Amino acid sequence: MSDVAQSEFNIRKYIREDLFPHFMCPGCGHGIALRALLNAVHNLGIDKNRLAIVSGIGCSGRVGAYIDANTFHTTHGRPLAFATGLKLARPDLEVIVITGDGDCLAIGGNHLIHACRRNLNITCLMLNNEVYGMTGGQVSPTTSTDRFTTTTQSGNYEPVFDACKLAEGAGAAFVGREMTLQTPALRDLIMEAIAHEGFSFVEVLSDCTEVFGRKNDMGDSMEMVLAQKSGFRSNSYGTAVDEPFKPRGMKTGVLHRSERLEYAAAYQQHHAEKSST
Amino acid sequence: MTERETLKADVPAESLVHQRPTNVLVVGVGGQGVIMISKVLASLSKELGHQVKQSEVHGMAKRGGAVFSHVRFGPAVFSPTIPEGEADILVALEWAEGLRWLPHLKQDSGTFIADTQQIVPPFACRNRSRGADLGYPRETVPDVMEKIANSFALDAVGIATEMGVAKAANTVLLGTLSAALDFPVEAWKSVISEFVPPKTIEANIRAFDAGRDWALSFDRQTHLKDWTGRTVRSPAEVVDSAAGITSTLEITEEWCKGCDICIKFCPERCLAMDARQIAILVDPDRCTGCRICEWLCPDLAITVHTQTNTDSA
Amino acid sequence: MSTDQNLQNLQGNRACALAAIHAGCRLFAGYPITPSSEIAESMSAELPKVGGVFVQMEDEIASMGAVIGASAGGVKAMTATSGPGFSLKQEALGYAALTEIPSVIINVMRGGPSTGMPTRPAQGDIMQARWGTHGDHPTVVLVPWSVEEVFAETIRAFNLAELLRTPVIILFDEVIGHLVETVDLARFQNPQITDRKWADGKIEGFKPYRDPGDGVPMMARPGDGRRVHTTGLSHGESGFPTQNAGEVEKFMSRLLGKIAKHRDEVERIDARCCDDADVVVVAYGITARAAHRAVSMLRDQGIKAGLFRPITLWPFPESAFKAVAEHARLVLVPEMNAGQLILEVERLVSDKTTVAGLNLFYGEPITPQQIVEKAEALLSQ
Ligand SMILES: Cc1ncc(C[n+]2csc(CCOP(=O)(O)OP(=O)(O)O)c2C)c(N)n1
Ligand code: SF4
Ligand code: SF4
Ligand code: SF4
Ligand SMILES: [Mg+2]
Repeated sequence: MSDVAQSEFNIRKYIREDLFPHFMCPGCGHGIALRALLNAVHNLGIDKNRLAIVSGIGCSGRVGAYIDANTFHTTHGRPLAFATGLKLARPDLEVIVITGDGDCLAIGGNHLIHACRRNLNITCLMLNNEVYGMTGGQVSPTTSTDRFTTTTQSGNYEPVFDACKLAEGAGAAFVGREMTLQTPALRDLIMEAIAHEGFSFVEVLSDCTEVFGRKNDMGDSMEMVLAQKSGFRSNSYGTAVDEPFKPRGMKTGVLHRSERLEYAAAYQQHHAEKSST
Repeated sequence: MTERETLKADVPAESLVHQRPTNVLVVGVGGQGVIMISKVLASLSKELGHQVKQSEVHGMAKRGGAVFSHVRFGPAVFSPTIPEGEADILVALEWAEGLRWLPHLKQDSGTFIADTQQIVPPFACRNRSRGADLGYPRETVPDVMEKIANSFALDAVGIATEMGVAKAANTVLLGTLSAALDFPVEAWKSVISEFVPPKTIEANIRAFDAGRDWALSFDRQTHLKDWTGRTVRSPAEVVDSAAGITSTLEITEEWCKGCDICIKFCPERCLAMDARQIAILVDPDRCTGCRICEWLCPDLAITVHTQTNTDSA
Repeated sequence: MSTDQNLQNLQGNRACALAAIHAGCRLFAGYPITPSSEIAESMSAELPKVGGVFVQMEDEIASMGAVIGASAGGVKAMTATSGPGFSLKQEALGYAALTEIPSVIINVMRGGPSTGMPTRPAQGDIMQARWGTHGDHPTVVLVPWSVEEVFAETIRAFNLAELLRTPVIILFDEVIGHLVETVDLARFQNPQITDRKWADGKIEGFKPYRDPGDGVPMMARPGDGRRVHTTGLSHGESGFPTQNAGEVEKFMSRLLGKIAKHRDEVERIDARCCDDADVVVVAYGITARAAHRAVSMLRDQGIKAGLFRPITLWPFPESAFKAVAEHARLVLVPEMNAGQLILEVERLVSDKTTVAGLNLFYGEPITPQQIVEKAEALLSQ
């Protein structure tokens, strides 16, 4: 899996070119994540006819449409539920979910934990820009402390979710986190996530230049991207300090991996046993 | 900082103020031997009777990402990490990483030892947060050396390569480091011998001597004057210019939204914004094909094409 | 006592589950709720035997999502619930209608609103079934009145869902769900099954929402190389979002009109003694059984009464009803709700006809006697 792809990666083979330029704002991190995902798909040699992208609602959710695959843009918060049905019905498809921090952790939080628990072979990419981008920049379950959003006009006072810990706690077989700035590393992480049997959760530290960056005076996209890298995520994760040298940052890379029995395999195994006795 | 540690550790403050540990920070990118240097140093200080704390981060070593290691030794050491502005010595195996960690160096008295080798890591140029006055790679080696009194910038890779032991550049730096610390030379060599593969002991000892000799004969003024600016660039992932690979850059203008990311991130500064707010390649010759712009363009507007000149198959 | 294997005593909910499997349903996703849970329970036992998948999801929203996902993948899928759960499914139901992904949703109605009377029958979701989701959308709702009809209509629901590429809802109530009746399965030995109209022919230039003439586009099967986009955003023929007025108008007209184009297959009624009826009782589901008895009681008294029973509740069988209501003096609509279908009935009769409701909503089925009394009272006015 770590082998680099046979042929050179040509992103145009994986996108719906006629839809470009895409709708995202200048500098939006979601676009960088899109490239990493497609590069991973390429490196793994996944046939795009067998690739199903299921996304929710949000700027993150609209990323899927640009991928030249079987793409499903579902309802807000429910892509994992939809993907569960799709994967159960069609185990031959490679099902990848693209969701946002609001989509996945707020309205879709229940589906996330149960998808983790069930451990069906799906890969979930949560594009975390710590804001509700699509609706104009309201606070999300991952908005850092003190950040300004349109619904926290004097700064955010609510605590945040550590999505990776949540996913791990709920039983996901694979959990990882990476930032869009580290695109090759992000690609590699996504490759590992897809290749892993069972439910894989990847938190992509993305950024919203337009509504979040502006509101918080974080400079242009480049500066936001850098700010992210240098650990601006402050102490939002509270005591979840992972790295001694980046006391204000977050751990990236593969955070958890287990060989727990995959759901469809468990289902088949169980019913085969029951019917033979 | 040390005082706070003292209080925390419940040790009389005074005793420690006089015995504060020596802090050495070793930085570089994956595969360069950062960890080897810090292990040698940690092991050596332990053998010489010091308390040692060594901690490292090499999460992305495999991918050419940043690696750094903190070594602290002295009569008593509590915290494993070196706070900003507290490093006595900063050893950088890669130039840009060295610059990035400069704020950790003690102002005025800190010693900066750096290989001038520039590896363009996949996502180098990191951490150039606003207001940072040292950017990669604008500052030339003399620029930096002029700012830091105790600075030693050497082409360790070049020295090692000339000796036919290109892989021992880190040992060259160990030699330079040895000149900045009061440990006996023989002790250094015996510890190094334990850490390198038996077959390479002899080569590594030669590399160590070369680095040490370079430091001992170092003359700041001539060094600055004669600086030729040789840097080795090893762009990430794809391009090995030595193997005759060239690259061309394709920018899909209709897709570019002028976000500036590629321009600001290009380590070679070969992109610019034109009057229409569209990124253009202004200096193709300097483009190393590192693909940073391609990776980071949120609009998928940049494609780097690489060709192997020698072998077109 | 018959030894005929085909004669089986079946509970309404179980009949629904067996019929679904008969119709080709291979995935059930649900969340327990009285009085529908026996459907899920039967499915959990039966589906694995035929290589299908039963999954109990975390809630009704997820169940509906999983059903749509499975169906998008090409597997016939169903979910079952009751009032509160039905409300939770509404957003996804609209999504299925707009994206034209077939599915079958069972709502075993119980007293409401809110938790109401979970173990008591009601018919309170008539309008929710029609208008529950947001925006204009096509709706197909079936209301069987017996266990055997539950069996038949469940099969038909799957067929209609595939034929029309739309979600189909079956409404019954606690009484029918839990009623055990003898069903002659011989009738269902070789049921007519409608399968998905999968796209064939040229991949190049395929338009997933192009009208082939009957208003129902061919569907691309994931993996067939067409790689289409499915979205809940308004879209044109290409499937990609659009806000172009002309394109959206065209799309919505087709979407809303496709059911009408298949009216013959969709509409189903049961009209008894209506030809000469002065009094037409319009009733559905369990209430229609009482109405049926009431009609013969009224006939015994010399009152020309008839029963008009929509089996397809939505779209309401308008012309068939108009035909019988034309000559009626009185149209009586008994319902276990505060008066829902009556609104549609009122809309369709002329001024010469009196329309009245009999609305009982305390969790007891309406009796024939109550209907007779109501008719008599109205006639004597
Ligand atoms: C049921 C429902 N509630 C609310 C909305 C409005 N809505 C659309 S996107 C969104 C938030 C998206 O935020 P996130 O998931 O973080 O995605 P981002 O846009 O930041 O990528 C909301 C609340 C909706 N579409 N559906
Ligand atoms: S609003 Fe924010 S998240 Fe949405 S496209 Fe713009 S920058 Fe990206
Ligand atoms: S323009 Fe060339 S050197 Fe600059 S980032 Fe792009 S590929 Fe690298
Ligand atoms: S990163 Fe892409 S969109 Fe941004 S300025 Fe460069 S080419 Fe244009
Ligand atoms: Mg968001």
